[in-house]
Amino acid sequence: MSGMQGESNDRLDALWAQYRRACPDPEAGPEFMPRLWQRIDARRNETLSLFRRFAQVCVAATVAIALLMAILPELQSNNDSGTYADALAAEPASNYALILAGDL
Amino acid sequence: MLVDFELIERARSGDDGAFNHIVTAYRKRILGTIARLIGRPEDVEDVGQEVFLRLYYSLDQLRTKEVFEPWLYRLTVNAAYDYLRRQRRRPESRMSDLSEQQVMMADASAGTKRNAEESHRVKVRETVQSLLENVSDEDRALLILKEVEGLSLKELEQVYHVNENALKVRLFRARQRVLKAFAAKGEGAVSADVARADAARKAEGDA
Repeated sequence: MSGMQGESNDRLDALWAQYRRACPDPEAGPEFMPRLWQRIDARRNETLSLFRRFAQVCVAATVAIALLMAILPELQSNNDSGTYADALAAEPASNYALILAGDL
Repeated sequence: MLVDFELIERARSGDDGAFNHIVTAYRKRILGTIARLIGRPEDVEDVGQEVFLRLYYSLDQLRTKEVFEPWLYRLTVNAAYDYLRRQRRRPESRMSDLSEQQVMMADASAGTKRNAEESHRVKVRETVQSLLENVSDEDRALLILKEVEGLSLKELEQVYHVNENALKVRLFRARQRVLKAFAAKGEGAVSADVARADAARKAEGDA
């Protein structure tokens, strides 16, 4: 049984060797290098255009944030009616007693 | 090594001329390995370009120059996997799937006159390819690298980053599967063809 297995192994080894000879190392065609560099350049351009798009998105986001930061304090200042002293002065005098008593 | 370390270093630093030299030095060997891995001569150059494209964009990740060749083999195996996976999604009739009469008709209609040697080569290629269909794409690549390309277990360890014992087990199992298919296919018939072709080659050499 092991003898048969050994024979099969030998035949398979012979087949591998035949396969090696049946598929020799091919010569590259004349278009191999130009096409390779075309593919390298295409990938480079793709990466560059992705980077460019990313940069554009970043610039747009920065501008949007800068605008927001400029507008927000403006909006907040419109909501604020004045200083703390002004707010106290606006409080009805009748509330003072309640505040001091801790009921409000 | 087919190139010296300095050339690799120059290519890593962006010297396209140095990269060209590396491709020129390795392309024949790599195209041969790809041809034996995928078994489709018409797609070998395309997969080969993919390997060198990946090499170009990954050279800066190469940690030590000494592992350049295993690295290149790894890229080759990965590109071949990707190709085989794509092919599985695209069913296509192969010569081995056709009857003998259909093959003869296909040959006649293509106007080809293959000599005995060439038709034997085709038969060997198709036999091995059909035997390799009994193992996974990973094991197929492993078997080809070991049995056909002649890489040692040490070299395979560097390619796969797997220890030698694990590789031995995997290789043994894959080989057993192929042997089983070989026996089922009628190894005698295949072996007789192999012997006939060897005899023919010897006779040609003597003449």
